[in-house]
Amino acid sequence: MSWEQLWIFALAATLCWVAGAAMALRGKNASLTAMVSSAGTLIFFAFIVGMWIALERPPMRTMGETRLWYSFFLSVAGIAVFVRWRYKWILSFSTMMSVVFICINLFKPEIHSKSLMPALQSPWFVPHVIVYMFAYAMMGAVTLFAIYLWLRSSRKEPSAEEMGVCDNLVRIGWAFLTLGMVMGALWAKEAWGDYWTWDPKETWAAATWLGYLLYLHLRKMTKDYHLLFALLLFAFLMLQMCWYGINYLPSAQGASIHVY
Amino acid sequence: MTLQWGYKRAFLRCALLFVVGAVLQIVFGDFDNKFLRYPWGLIFAINYLYLLLLVYVQSAKWKWLQQLYDGYAMISSLTSMMVLVIIFGFTRQDPTTAGWVGALGFSRMTSSWIFNILLFYFVTTLGVCVMRDLHHWRNARLAALLSHTVVFVALAAAMFGSADKERVTVDLHLDRMTYMGVNQQGEQVELPFALTLKEFQMDEYPAKLYLLDTQAETSSEEFLLVENVGDEAEIDGWRLKVKESIDMAARMPESEEFREMHHVGAVPAVKVEATNLRTKTKYQGWVSCGSHIFEPAYLWLGERYAVAMPRREAKRYLSRIEIMDEEGEQRRVNIEVNKPAREGSWRIYQVGYNTQQGRWSTSSVVECVRDGWWRVVQVALWMLLATGVVMFLTAGGKRLKPKDKEDKR
Repeated sequence: MSWEQLWIFALAATLCWVAGAAMALRGKNASLTAMVSSAGTLIFFAFIVGMWIALERPPMRTMGETRLWYSFFLSVAGIAVFVRWRYKWILSFSTMMSVVFICINLFKPEIHSKSLMPALQSPWFVPHVIVYMFAYAMMGAVTLFAIYLWLRSSRKEPSAEEMGVCDNLVRIGWAFLTLGMVMGALWAKEAWGDYWTWDPKETWAAATWLGYLLYLHLRKMTKDYHLLFALLLFAFLMLQMCWYGINYLPSAQGASIHVY
Repeated sequence: MTLQWGYKRAFLRCALLFVVGAVLQIVFGDFDNKFLRYPWGLIFAINYLYLLLLVYVQSAKWKWLQQLYDGYAMISSLTSMMVLVIIFGFTRQDPTTAGWVGALGFSRMTSSWIFNILLFYFVTTLGVCVMRDLHHWRNARLAALLSHTVVFVALAAAMFGSADKERVTVDLHLDRMTYMGVNQQGEQVELPFALTLKEFQMDEYPAKLYLLDTQAETSSEEFLLVENVGDEAEIDGWRLKVKESIDMAARMPESEEFREMHHVGAVPAVKVEATNLRTKTKYQGWVSCGSHIFEPAYLWLGERYAVAMPRREAKRYLSRIEIMDEEGEQRRVNIEVNKPAREGSWRIYQVGYNTQQGRWSTSSVVECVRDGWWRVVQVALWMLLATGVVMFLTAGGKRLKPKDKEDKR
């Protein structure tokens, strides 16, 4: 398996996801809808497994590789939310976002070498990255949903149920951010001798974590949805800074051991 | 939106703490945590816990104490921490920074008064919340209670234990015993054990061949990974093909050819054939990354381009070390990245080696780390891991009602 075959798998997966999203929007049989979407996710996962075997290491090191997982987990998160709460729009959202990240990988391919530096060779590597990518996917989904609620043409105030969706997605996303952060801390102790060193990546991970934590607490204190949505958007911007922004941030240049 | 008085009061308190921190920073310079060294950190921590409990108990009588842990305090302290961490993220951590950023201590954030005071306020708010949660136990709030408690324990342990962390870098040379190292302040420190490097081993990834443009002084982005004879790749209009590959080789003086040689300084060498895809011109020759003994070798493709091999990347490196404790007991351990060794309360980490010598390095750099509070933090972190799982499982536990008419719009 190599990056040249990505488009074939991506196309097949996207077709399934689009079909699933269309079925959900039209209110077709939920089980069948979930199965069609899951078929797309499985096809995409087959590509990831193929890359894993071909590279002889987990495909999680480069930005392009983490984007693969992001697309994968967005579709998983979309299907999970659909199965649990039957939101008919969620599959369209997750499909759209997954496809955006697949397109970035197709049109801006990176060099993906086989080498994995010793610091990354740890049992924590795979769960740390997977858990973070899942959290990012959840936060991506809630951000899009919040923007939709905020800017929709009807200008209707979000209902209690709609706000409940935001809360659930943030709570799950925050739980996974916490898992990722703790796994990173336990790993850092084994690799570098300290569980927290305020490396720029860690600093921004903490800012992101605090941002979503603030949302969870503020939800109980205010009904002002403008403030809540603005905070969700702001927290997602911090997440971007943590994910890849520090690669470009002047204050982090040469200071982070998290740049790969 | 008019801000409620509760918010105004809580944010004013944070602003006041910020100003106090700024004044202390300007007057006294960086916050020095030496006063927290063992046993004082532990003594302060116990008294702090007692005080938190006292505050919570007394807040039933003295209502104003509730302002320390009400919703407004929670939001204001969380917001202050977030803002400070964002400033932290945007500020290059460099002790030599001048100007107001340096004066306020933002360029040495973890030693700044502002950061430490607001962190202390945040942990205090959280701590009293934990007392309240424990007092008014509700199973429905299990995830919140757990996360409040373990985050509090982790942060309090990190705070009160911050002065008990020691990191000592030790340069080890083959068969030379040493018990001295350099701490983070650059001071020479004596360790309670002696270390001797007995062997250094290194595995490397296969060599990669790049195309250099000597006029533009750039290197190709793509490369040929040399795993087997016959491997080939097309790079920037050239086809490179591996004709021969030797893992340990050397070139004799006055000779163009590399030969297999197992000796200190031996280099990987690859005989490569390069074909220009347009003109079909062919070049063939040896390429090597060189070592601290042998010069690197390039294959020139005319005057402008050349094939080059950078130093191979380290796959794994390992130091075989003999540790002698204070009683004179000796034992041998292997340490590598992600696999530290333990000696009493110390952990010994593989940090580096002589990169000039690469796999032939006769020295190794290790770091000896001691953190008396790690066990407490470790327990808190594992519990936080469990809390994350509980939170995920309990999030949105109730299935929402079937959609009503309004939702179908």
